[in-house]
Amino acid sequence: MLTLQPADIDAILLSVQVACAATLLSTPVGIAVAWLLVHARIPGKALLEGIVNLPLVLPPVVTGYLLLVLFGRRGWIGAWLARHDIQVIFTLTGAVIASAVVGFPLLVRSIRLGMENIDPGLRQAARTLGAGPWDTFCTVTLPLSGRAVLAGMTLMFARSLGEFGATIILAGNIPGVTQTIPLAIYEYTSAPGGDRMALTLCLVSILLSFAVLLISGAAGKKLERS
Amino acid sequence: MNHLRTLVTTLATILLTTASLLQASEPIRISVPASMTDAVKELAARFEASAGPIGIVINSGASGALAKQIAEGAPADLFISANAKWMNYLHDEKMIDPDSEQVFATNTLVFAGLLNPAITGMAAVTELERIAIASPKSAPAGEYAMQALEGAGLARALEAEGKLVLAKDVRHALAYADRGETDGAFVYRTDALRASRAVILFEVPAALYGAVTYPVALTKGGATKPAARQLHAFLTGAGARQILRQHGFGTPD
Repeated sequence: MLTLQPADIDAILLSVQVACAATLLSTPVGIAVAWLLVHARIPGKALLEGIVNLPLVLPPVVTGYLLLVLFGRRGWIGAWLARHDIQVIFTLTGAVIASAVVGFPLLVRSIRLGMENIDPGLRQAARTLGAGPWDTFCTVTLPLSGRAVLAGMTLMFARSLGEFGATIILAGNIPGVTQTIPLAIYEYTSAPGGDRMALTLCLVSILLSFAVLLISGAAGKKLERS
Repeated sequence: MNHLRTLVTTLATILLTTASLLQASEPIRISVPASMTDAVKELAARFEASAGPIGIVINSGASGALAKQIAEGAPADLFISANAKWMNYLHDEKMIDPDSEQVFATNTLVFAGLLNPAITGMAAVTELERIAIASPKSAPAGEYAMQALEGAGLARALEAEGKLVLAKDVRHALAYADRGETDGAFVYRTDALRASRAVILFEVPAALYGAVTYPVALTKGGATKPAARQLHAFLTGAGARQILRQHGFGTPD
């Protein structure tokens, strides 16, 4: 009864690929931005915070449309990229960008919470013992916020797996190229007779999300013990 | 505690009054294929101009998606499909009044995109990067497009190379081509005529795909409403035929 079409398997693999790429590429940037928000004394911090969090409160369709305007053939970034022969819209890159932007606030929020909870005394101790800011970051701040980083990555990965609104606008719905699980489900549900296939993919989606939760739970425990 | 009670009462009152308002004037709901949205809007306005403001609610989308909505119990008094398949589907589900089924318009398939002199026929589309079609699973325009591509022996290559961008309905596919996001789109002639920047690059040879016909029917619920029956008669009448032709549709006669 649970049979997957080749196109469905493509969709599953693409979803995992997009979610992994978006999460892994965003994590270093997310850590940097979270650090800036917690420790740096820079002008316009509130603005930076607002921009980072905006995709969390905007409808994903709006985020997608703004990205399309930016990256489209006539968009600011899109026109520049086109001159270098890079296409974003309707490509896997587009799907990764859409997922990364939508999931980014979740990542930063989580890492930021972790960094804020570190006892400032520990950092001061490191500094008085002669560690530079970079050393302090690598040996104190980063290890102590490890669980928060992991939690943020999990949230972001899960959000990316489910990303629909921004993806369908920026990356379109191309079987085998940008059609991820949610897009495939959407297509099945809009046609009569597609219910069973849609349910099969829903099941896959549930299993994947569960696996992510279990893995991140186990990894979190391991980090706690070490 | 008192505040809570006031709040709950206010909300309940608002809910009850608006609910009864919605109930009071029941509009005629018509599910329309995306390609026919503008024509039906004009037809509905003409009908209301003569029959009085009965309130016509137009729900447009891919015919297959509309058929599924109706099969799942969505309110609709009239259903228009852009092919026979989805009308037959609702017929088999016993959701429509079989006596009212009638083909009242026809259309043809074209390839539209921003001006490109290199594209003159089916064979040339393989040279393009991205081609938009409406999702063949639910939109007839996509099904006709796939038929044509298969007939020309191009479907498999285009699919394997990931060149086909699936849009939710034919207007969505047109929007892709019109904004230059895809190099072109398979759409109906009537859609291409409404594009602001895209033009018809070539007509798809009629031998490659089935005849595009638009059947209209009353749903089982719609058949019991006099206003819905009147609208059905108007849509299939001579006055409507003229408006449909103005919008570029063919009419059976």
